[in-house]
Amino acid sequence: MRKKVGIIACSGEELLGGTLSRAAARIVVEKLRPQETIILCAPLFAAGGLERHGGQEERNFAKEHPTITIEGCEEECAKIAVDKYSGPPTATFYIKEFIDAHPKLKPVSREDLGEEGMKLAEIIAEKIAKKVDELFIS
Amino acid sequence: MMSEKKVFIIPCSGIGKVFGSIGRETAYIVVNELAKGKSALECLPLIVKGKKEVIDKLKLNKVIAIDGCPLKCSYNNLMENVGKVDAQFMTTDNVKENRDLRPESSIIPIGEHTKQLSKKLAVKVSQEVDDLLKQNKEGE
Repeated sequence: MRKKVGIIACSGEELLGGTLSRAAARIVVEKLRPQETIILCAPLFAAGGLERHGGQEERNFAKEHPTITIEGCEEECAKIAVDKYSGPPTATFYIKEFIDAHPKLKPVSREDLGEEGMKLAEIIAEKIAKKVDELFIS
Repeated sequence: MMSEKKVFIIPCSGIGKVFGSIGRETAYIVVNELAKGKSALECLPLIVKGKKEVIDKLKLNKVIAIDGCPLKCSYNNLMENVGKVDAQFMTTDNVKENRDLRPESSIIPIGEHTKQLSKKLAVKVSQEVDDLLKQNKEGE
C-alpha cells in the first residue's frame, strides 16, 4: 500500500480557527505535499449513522494510515473523532498556538482571512508539511 | 426574557471539493448579509461531537442543513444528534440548476462562479429562514 498521510482539519465554520485549519490543510494537500497527503472530512468520522452512507471508508483509511489533525479551538473535535473511531492521530496541531506565536499576523475574519491570515495559514501548513516528511522518513 | 429565536444554518464541513465551499460561502452570505440577525452559524464538528450547549440550542430553534455531497454529513449528523432538520439544501442541485456557472475547482480562494452560485443559493436559504421564522410566530 502506498504511504499517504491523512490531513483532518476541524474546519469549524463558526470560528476563525476553523477557517485557518481549513486553509492550512488545503495548502498542505494542494501545494506543499500533494503526493504524500490526502484530505479527510472530520464529520464523517464521528457520524455513527454514516456507515450506511459510506462514511466507514474514511475511518478505515485513518486506521491504516498516519493521520494529522488540525484543531481550530480547544474542543479538539477532529482529534476526538479520529481517536474514537480510528485510533490516536499521529500528530495534532493547534491553531491557537500559531496565532499566539505570530501576533503581528492578524487574519481579517472567519469569512476572509486576508493577506496576513493566509500568511499565517502558510506558516501552519509548512509546519504540518515538515511533520509529513518526518513520517515518511520514519 | 426568552431570547429571540433564530434559524441556525449548518453547512457541511467538506473541504475536499468545491461543493462544500459553496455551502460554507452560502451560509456566510446568509448570516452576514441576507438574513443578518435572524440566522446564525454553528460548527458541524461540535454538533457531531455532541456538545450539549450547542445541541440544546439547536433543539430550541429551527435548523437548516446545507450539504455538498450525497453523504449529507450535515443533514445526517443533525438527525443523529439533534433529532431534526427543518429544511435542507444540496449545493449540487444548485450547480445543476445553473449550468452556465460551472464552479472553479479552486477552494482557497474560491472562484467567481463559485461566489455567484453561493449568492444564488443564499437567496433561497434566506427565503427559507423567513418562512421558518414565520412558522415560529404562527406556532406561538
